[in-house]
Amino acid sequence: MADVKVVVPGDVIDTHTEEDDAVLRLGPGLTQHAGKVSAVAAGVLHASPDTNHFWVVSNKRRYVPAEGEPVVGVVLGRHGEGYRVDIGSAHDALLPLLAFEGATRRNKPNLVVGATVYARVSVANEMMDPELECFNSHTGKSEGYGELTHGFTFKCSLGLARRLLSAKAPVLSALGEQVPFEAAVGVNGRVW
Amino acid sequence: MARPDRRDPTQIRALHCVLGQLNRVDGSAQFSAGDTSVLCGVYGPVDVKLYDEKLDRAHIEVKFRPDIGVPTTKDKWVEDAVRTTFEREILGQLHPRTLVQINVQLCQGDGSVDAAAINATTLALIDAGIPLRAMVAAATCIVRPDHSIIVDPTQEEADSALSTHTFAFSNLQSNSPAYVDSRGEFSLDEYNACYDMCIAAVDRTLAFMRTAVEGKILKETQTAL
Repeated sequence: MADVKVVVPGDVIDTHTEEDDAVLRLGPGLTQHAGKVSAVAAGVLHASPDTNHFWVVSNKRRYVPAEGEPVVGVVLGRHGEGYRVDIGSAHDALLPLLAFEGATRRNKPNLVVGATVYARVSVANEMMDPELECFNSHTGKSEGYGELTHGFTFKCSLGLARRLLSAKAPVLSALGEQVPFEAAVGVNGRVW
Repeated sequence: MARPDRRDPTQIRALHCVLGQLNRVDGSAQFSAGDTSVLCGVYGPVDVKLYDEKLDRAHIEVKFRPDIGVPTTKDKWVEDAVRTTFEREILGQLHPRTLVQINVQLCQGDGSVDAAAINATTLALIDAGIPLRAMVAAATCIVRPDHSIIVDPTQEEADSALSTHTFAFSNLQSNSPAYVDSRGEFSLDEYNACYDMCIAAVDRTLAFMRTAVEGKILKETQTAL
């Protein structure tokens, strides 16, 4: 197996670069303290020497929302101008009524409690509750996001969800050879 | 004076751990040192009660349950040990207004329970992926009636101790302990001797924990396609 560098919390990472004033980009699992970069999660350390990007890949079960990620959520209720959606994070997410393709003040979607949706995280930081959108806000098209009807949803680890999302997921290809199906994979560890 | 199980004074018991065996929690670990076995399950970061909500960091909650009976005051000491240790080590400021709930269940007690609880909690937090400043391991030393010092006492050894000292250290390059608990009558020399013995025991425990965590991650990486 290729040289895999496993780090645990507390390990100091060697981020020495050739240029003196290089900008280092620290991804998940790393933090900077007193001029040193150290790991805060246990996992495999990845480094991209061209962009000075370092991050730790680790598997876990609890989702922490990040902007731009596709998630599968369950509608909990309607509050004011949006829906409260459970995406498995510490706080429930807000899905505005107008964040759907073709939605206007007169033409709003009508999701019931318990409906499953595939959405993109539009706002995520540690200070606010996460927010979702069911369309691409630049193009106005749904691009696969929206309500997911029929079918069933199951939970999996975040690592497995990421692997399923990669283009060459063998499990999904093998399944597709036997049975035609449609699936939506959320990086929050839920698969419809 | 020989120890009942013929161990050297500086020898800790055989360590064993299982990571991620519970499937309803976010992270879990079972840690055993000899016959002392502790199971820890961790949830987090999850929603927090308004009363406990902290605006700038996560709220850490620890529950420790004994093997038999209802929790009593001395079980609260173990909760306190785990909570004060990990309130410093968990990077709670990355997840404000959330809760990290640590549940520790004593499966079998044979001395050095608070050290085992701290060790099991470190592994469970790592299994859950909760950000930690460092890995923390703990060890207990006692001063026996003949003033000899032994590490990792069994319950039988601890019952006759003049003083009991539990130290926890992290794998960061600093000598200051992450947790200290000393009880009984002891001299400064005895305290320092226990301190040194515990550092050595903690180093071995940290190495064991690192091997366990690396093994789990390598296994996950190899099964990834």
